[in-house]
Amino acid sequence: MTREEANRLLHAYIDGELDPAKTLELEAHLAENPSVRAACERLREMSAAIRDKADYHAAPAWLEARVRAAIPSGPENASAPWWRWLKPAGSFAAVADWLRPAASFAAVALVTWVVALGVMRPSEDERITQDVLASHVRATLSSRSYDVASSDQHTVKPWLSARLAFSPPVADLSASDFELVGGRLDYIGAQPVAVLVYKRRQHMIDVFLWPAEAQKAEQTLTRDGFNIERFARNGMSFWIVSDLNRDELDDLARLLAERSAAP
Amino acid sequence: MLAADSVLLYHTDPVPLHKPVSEPKRRFEQLVLPHFDAAYNLARWLTRNDHDAQDVVQEAVLRAFRFFDGLRGEARPWLLSIVRNTFLTWVQVNRPADTVEFDDALVEIIPTDEDGPEIQAARNFDRKMLNEAIAALPLQFREALILRELEDLSYKDIARIVDVPIGTVMSRLARARRLLAESLGATSNISGTQVHK
Repeated sequence: MTREEANRLLHAYIDGELDPAKTLELEAHLAENPSVRAACERLREMSAAIRDKADYHAAPAWLEARVRAAIPSGPENASAPWWRWLKPAGSFAAVADWLRPAASFAAVALVTWVVALGVMRPSEDERITQDVLASHVRATLSSRSYDVASSDQHTVKPWLSARLAFSPPVADLSASDFELVGGRLDYIGAQPVAVLVYKRRQHMIDVFLWPAEAQKAEQTLTRDGFNIERFARNGMSFWIVSDLNRDELDDLARLLAERSAAP
Repeated sequence: MLAADSVLLYHTDPVPLHKPVSEPKRRFEQLVLPHFDAAYNLARWLTRNDHDAQDVVQEAVLRAFRFFDGLRGEARPWLLSIVRNTFLTWVQVNRPADTVEFDDALVEIIPTDEDGPEIQAARNFDRKMLNEAIAALPLQFREALILRELEDLSYKDIARIVDVPIGTVMSRLARARRLLAESLGATSNISGTQVHK
């Protein structure tokens, strides 16, 4: 490698844009030539100085607010129609006449395929429903309902917090006849979640908890004889599963929601 | 309450506080508007003053929304290319005297010896001097430098934004750094700072 070429490649080298083969070649050259090495060092320093000292002009907040407000929000102002892409330009018009039926056929096939995919693939909610139900049934079948057995919320909460990336709210509801018996970990919807286990009479109740951004609609459903309720409070998603009757489960949902309303 | 099967009992979706936001606008706000600062920074370095930068950014973002369907791949380089194009149109209309010439050969590089020793120790650069020197660079070198050093974009992204081959991006960056070093070297000579030769 000539010195000239080395000097030319230094820029790509310090920018991390040189391919591996050239990098090896250049590094060999650098090892032998202190002056090129010094030039490389100065170039690096210069790049660092620009990053460090050149002004990064952040937009004034009022400008972003103004532009945001100026973006039309009506549907009639949506972007250019998709079929614009099908419209040919200039001399391709003749060819496009041939292509047009083919294109519409392809479009119909595509739409059919997308719709079929949407119909066949269970929604996220459906998958979570299956997950929490399976977890609850597995726990009751194996009589291993919890990893930490305690009726003390101050034992269960730290135990869960220590093993998860979030700290689940644990409420003591013994005054309302929902006895906390313990907690466990599980894996629902591709993430580790906390499970609080409550008991009323002989019914086990699992409360699944994980952080969720969106406020989902509150919903109740029944699946295979189990009652399921879900809601979200304070950035936490709650899914409650039990064979307990619906009215009592509603009571628990209400109590949990109240308890976690304030941080 | 006895639910037979999958019965939705009550909905508590949050009620919108103000007028409803259309789906394209919402997606645009999520994908594109996080890069508002980057758009402003580029416009500010291209126009070199706040007022013009505000005009250019506002127009560019509204234009970006109209062409939102054309977004393929990452949003930031896409938005920045729209900012740049908006700027070029804007210059023609508002500052016809400054209309940009993109012939790299027009910018003369003072030949130096091959070691490139003109790139001097940069840690001594004064912040104000550095900003002025960058602002004084010809447009094609200034934009390459800003996109690389301040936006940390790859040569490939820069080539897409500026619409030149990757090799040209590399040579423009090399020239930008060399011109910058020369102008800073000259300044520090005048102010009596020692220049490493």
